[in-house]
Amino acid sequence: MSQTSPQIGMRDKTPKARAFINARIIVSPDETIENGTLLIDNGLVVGVGENISIPDNYFLIDLNGKSIYPGFIDPYTEYGIKKQAKVKRDRNHSPKYLGDRTGGNAWNDAIHSEKNWSDQFQPVKKESDKLLKLGFTTVHSVRKDGIFRGRSFVTLLGEGLPNDLLLVPHGSQFLSFKKGNSKQDYPESMMGGIALIRQMFYDIDWYQKAHDAHNKNGNQQFPEFNAAIEALANVHSEVLFFDGGTDVHSISRIARIAEEFNLKFISLASGYEYARMDDLKKTGQLLIVPLDFPKAPEVKTLEDDYDLKLSQLRHWETAPGNLARLEENGVKFALTTSRMKDTDKFWKNLRQAIKRGLSKKGALAALTSVPAQICDLADRTGSLEKGKLANFFICDGDIFEKKVDIYSTWVAGSRNEFQTIPMTDFAGNYSFRIENDSFNFILTGIVPSVSGTLEVGEWESKLKKVESDQNKISFAVAIDSTEGAGLYRFTGRKLEQKIIGQMTNPEGELTDWVATYVGPSSNDAKDAEEDNDADEAKDDDAPFFAHLTYPNKSFGFESLPKSENVLLINGTVWTADEAGILDNADVLIIDRKIAKVGHNLTAPSGIRTIDATGKHITPGIIDPHSHLAVSGNVNEGTHAVTSEVRIGDVINPDQINIYRQVAGGVTACLSMHGSANPIGGQCQAIKLRWGSSAEEMKIVDAPIMLKFALGENVKQSNWGEKYKIRYPQSRMGVETIMRDEFQAALEYEADWSAYNSLSKKNKSQTVPPRKNIRLDAIVEVLHNRMLVQCHAYTQAETLMFMRLAEEYGFTIELFAHILEGYKIADEMAKHGAGGTTFSDWWAYKFEVYDAIPYNAGLMVERGVLTTVHSDNADLARRLNTEAAKIVMYNDMPQEEAIKLATINPAKQLGIDNRVGSLVEGKDADFVIWNGNPLSIYSRVEETWIDGKNYFSIEKDSLMQQEIAQEKNRLIQKLLQQNSSDTGSSSKKWGEK
Amino acid sequence: MRLTRIVSALKHITIVALILLASTVYAHDYIPAVQQSQPILIKGGDLQTVSNGVMPQTDLLFENGRITAIAKNITPPEKCKIIDVSGKIVYPGLIAPNSSIGLTEIGAVRATNDRREVGGINPNIKSATAYNPDSEIIPSVRSNGITTVLVVPGGSLLRGQSSLINLDGWTIEDATEKASLGMHLNWPKASISTGWWVEKSAEDQKKDMAENRKLLHQLFDDARAYQIARQDNPEIKKDGRWESMIPVLEGRMPLFVHAGDARQIEQAVDFCRDLKLNMVLVGGTDAWKLSQLLIENNIPVIFRKVQSLPAREDDPHDLSYKTPALLEKAGVNFCLSNGSATSVRNLPFQAGQAVAFGLSPEMALRSITLSTAEILGVSDDLGSLEVGKKATIIVSEGDIMDHLGHRVILEFINGAEVDLNNKHKELFEKYKHKH
Repeated sequence: MSQTSPQIGMRDKTPKARAFINARIIVSPDETIENGTLLIDNGLVVGVGENISIPDNYFLIDLNGKSIYPGFIDPYTEYGIKKQAKVKRDRNHSPKYLGDRTGGNAWNDAIHSEKNWSDQFQPVKKESDKLLKLGFTTVHSVRKDGIFRGRSFVTLLGEGLPNDLLLVPHGSQFLSFKKGNSKQDYPESMMGGIALIRQMFYDIDWYQKAHDAHNKNGNQQFPEFNAAIEALANVHSEVLFFDGGTDVHSISRIARIAEEFNLKFISLASGYEYARMDDLKKTGQLLIVPLDFPKAPEVKTLEDDYDLKLSQLRHWETAPGNLARLEENGVKFALTTSRMKDTDKFWKNLRQAIKRGLSKKGALAALTSVPAQICDLADRTGSLEKGKLANFFICDGDIFEKKVDIYSTWVAGSRNEFQTIPMTDFAGNYSFRIENDSFNFILTGIVPSVSGTLEVGEWESKLKKVESDQNKISFAVAIDSTEGAGLYRFTGRKLEQKIIGQMTNPEGELTDWVATYVGPSSNDAKDAEEDNDADEAKDDDAPFFAHLTYPNKSFGFESLPKSENVLLINGTVWTADEAGILDNADVLIIDRKIAKVGHNLTAPSGIRTIDATGKHITPGIIDPHSHLAVSGNVNEGTHAVTSEVRIGDVINPDQINIYRQVAGGVTACLSMHGSANPIGGQCQAIKLRWGSSAEEMKIVDAPIMLKFALGENVKQSNWGEKYKIRYPQSRMGVETIMRDEFQAALEYEADWSAYNSLSKKNKSQTVPPRKNIRLDAIVEVLHNRMLVQCHAYTQAETLMFMRLAEEYGFTIELFAHILEGYKIADEMAKHGAGGTTFSDWWAYKFEVYDAIPYNAGLMVERGVLTTVHSDNADLARRLNTEAAKIVMYNDMPQEEAIKLATINPAKQLGIDNRVGSLVEGKDADFVIWNGNPLSIYSRVEETWIDGKNYFSIEKDSLMQQEIAQEKNRLIQKLLQQNSSDTGSSSKKWGEK
Repeated sequence: MRLTRIVSALKHITIVALILLASTVYAHDYIPAVQQSQPILIKGGDLQTVSNGVMPQTDLLFENGRITAIAKNITPPEKCKIIDVSGKIVYPGLIAPNSSIGLTEIGAVRATNDRREVGGINPNIKSATAYNPDSEIIPSVRSNGITTVLVVPGGSLLRGQSSLINLDGWTIEDATEKASLGMHLNWPKASISTGWWVEKSAEDQKKDMAENRKLLHQLFDDARAYQIARQDNPEIKKDGRWESMIPVLEGRMPLFVHAGDARQIEQAVDFCRDLKLNMVLVGGTDAWKLSQLLIENNIPVIFRKVQSLPAREDDPHDLSYKTPALLEKAGVNFCLSNGSATSVRNLPFQAGQAVAFGLSPEMALRSITLSTAEILGVSDDLGSLEVGKKATIIVSEGDIMDHLGHRVILEFINGAEVDLNNKHKELFEKYKHKH
């Protein structure tokens, strides 16, 4: 129709005016007209109401009580955009450091915000039909690839020219944390994706200022043209979309970015919102929720149970209730078919969600008014009010209640018909005669799903091959009469109260027959439908067994531990402080803090005492080098310098190893970036507050540590043949690249101070330095405001780095692993660097061939602040016996050895003001052991953090029982739903 | 510091002290022990006999490499060297049953690794062939009381033959206790992997697993076909791989099946029962779930790692710690192993860790000595302090299974006193001079 296209052939001038009468019209989630009229013309709703007059020129369509729903809108599809092949990346492929540069695009191939996906839009009939049949008329579409994915569009479904179909050709910008099909290495981690986004938002501000300044004063170097940045120029006045996949923490992560840059986001839901509802509510975001529920886990054999996790079983049972939980909690959301492997499940899933508590009104809003608002089309679609697009579908009754047929979906007044509206109701009892015999047959169901039985006296037979369409019906019956057996075939038309037609007997002789309606069928007319809905119904009558815990998996808490005031009495108290080890001593915990440590303390009235006779109490174990609680890759090991990435952005509070480490007495750790590059990322000190959110795990005000690394890892010695091109490939280059970065940071800082000292007027005419979050971190390091932990093994590289740091005026807080620390302990002590080391690992690569288990002891002897670390989720659970190894190898006194895993790491991480020793005023983080904590024969009985009990043997064994029970019930339920033949025997076990 | 303490502890036994001091002079070349040439009486120690409980303040005499007497107040024979170990504890040497010592030096340096052969069908390779008796790892392990190791080749399916080695000797021939002790097989994976790094779908993984099992069956069919053909006609052309399988198929050589998952174990047990193979289970993560099956089929378990994370998310945090206790309670015949090369020195602490989680201390010690010897079929010679067994003995100042007690001060392998120095002590001593 497109006005600018020339007419080829005959012009189509068919009138578009239609009046749908006798219809149940659902105008909007808030308004239903039980028997009304809908008028449409020229693609728009012209009128809707109970008693509206129908102008003469309207073609009438009598819906006989059928329903009209406003057309659905899917706010997140990839409709009409060509699919891409998935790119595979692994270590067998050569690294790709540079992006493909064309047309002023961004440096990183995962950024293509300059793309307007409507440029490539073409309607795709097959996909369109699929969605139309579900009741959708409009979709919001973008290619689901990359971090800055480009600009979406909104289009009508159906056939036609893109020019006519596109409602919003230039929609919104979409983001994710995943680089998708970009072949470029950076970013390889979620934190890298987040850093890339943050830098981009800084670049947008810079770009504007830089070009403004250059426009005012052309007599300076001109800032680059960047199409990707320009496409995001209005980002602060737009709403952005974010797809964080199925990670329940993604939305909180993007919300932190939204807060930092004052942006508005609408996010894809993970489907796990119910598990972290409070976190989600804090974001205040509007959600797009995929109507995708997990497939029932496979439990064919008993052995399949071994691969099943409780968390998986819980999600299977709980997920369909997610929408109801969102609604209850006042979270506004739209629905999408996105992420559904099988859109045929759309209605089944939706009705399941409704049975699980989602209101029908909420469901309708989530498919109409809310997505219309999301697509910025609330004035044009989303309801059937006058003036809006004539987007709707016609179906047979309350589609949210039960399975009903959708007859047609109308898009901007154009009809897409899937089946004609049946005007004939075959249901009923009929009688007819063939020769002298009298027959009865009973029909149930509605066209085209009619079924029935034939009765002759006591004898009955099911009708076979029943076909019905409009007023026609045909079927066959197997009759075993005295004249012979075979199929009798019938065909007939219903005319008023009769079915009139012809039949053949098994011999092929043709006869006329007439059946007369004698009354309604006695069978339940719903039979046929119930068959269809059987699988829908099954789920909902069964009782629910899944618990909801924090985190929502094994060993999660039903409710988070509460702080207690307690007095521990008569224990052996390892203070990890000057007081050393106190026998028969008491520890008083008040308000999450250690109130007192000493002998014969008296408890304030009403507080619980714990008899610690025979027990040992130590400060909580602190692991200064861990990779615990990180989502995705712990390395952004792509560029040689990635100081912009932050572990703090990707804390994953749900890892089961957190609990396991708590059970090993660990109360805090530094969660770290890996050692894949000379300057890695920013690390995050956390307390192992199992059950808390990511943010609540962080130790507030703990210094940030930047990870540096030296040696084989960073020069890629063991990365395989393809990894020989990144600078540096030698320890010499490690020094120079660091020096280069430090120098750049200094100069960057100087550029900024020069710029900042300009007058306001001069500033507006001067291209500002580009804010560079990578260099920002280095500047912090150079000023000792960000601490440095450096992965180091050999003495030469360690000395190099200390000298380099000294040259640039900062101190290295901590060398990690530092297995040759014993060779240069004096130098380290002099520099002021601590050492955190493996107790006895060695020989796993060449640079640790001189590692010795006497390392820690010797470093301590030479005055280096020394600790043992894990670097390993299992080993972290035994840092007490790691410290005991130093007693074994170096005869270190036990009261000193305990410090290697308590106060010393607290000092190294700069958190010793609050944790690390049992002294008055510090946080009540402690462990109760059943014996000497350094003995292999001792085990943790209780672990406390902030005066809250996070682990005890009793609680743990209770949880084990509960987990087994819950898991078993869920598996039983699963088995019953999976097999149709359970209970096939009416006899009970043991009956004869 | 440490060395002087050892010396002072032994100050009245001049010969021993001299050997220890001498070794420091030779730097990295720890001289292998001289064959026992005179009777040695270990006097007054608390003997952890393993087979016969603890015998406090008891003497132990050995001659020509074998224990000849265990009693209070043994009268020393002529020319006997007497070592007073009063207040110390005497143990049989510890045995590590699943190691790659001598086959690897530096994990990441390819040239130093002889751990595995290419391909999945290598029954004819033998670890003793590549064992490097001069590996620096050896002295670092034996100084923690491990005297004997089963060196096992790695691999993907049929890995090859393991050799029982004692951790001393000029050459592999000196050090070999048994060159071909067992055949090693990795049982095909039977569990579904999940995680962000996993690329294959559960379905594809299942297909792979079925395919691998099929391959395994075919492989044994081929070996049996060869066995039968060879019985009928010894002149048939020799296939080196299947030739090596004959002792396994005849049940003369144990088949060490490396498997952890219950499904693998069950499959392997059935497989070995059908073929009448003499199976030893190595790994055994889920062995505790199948104790009855293992007992009925008389299959011993080399439990791989006490100090490890549980295999599954829903498992108790301490499942690996307490698995030995579960096996003990069920009556499964088991022993413990640890790590592959460098970490073998922590074997005794695996046993100690299991004690903290319910294993009886007696069984713990047995699981790193006598049970291991029994499972490896060498308990006539090793594993306990008994008259007639090899004098492979260690003496510790305290409890060998706890870091707080573990101080190995004397060690004999086949009656010869072993140098307890190692690269680590050398470097420690060296750098004391710097500071």
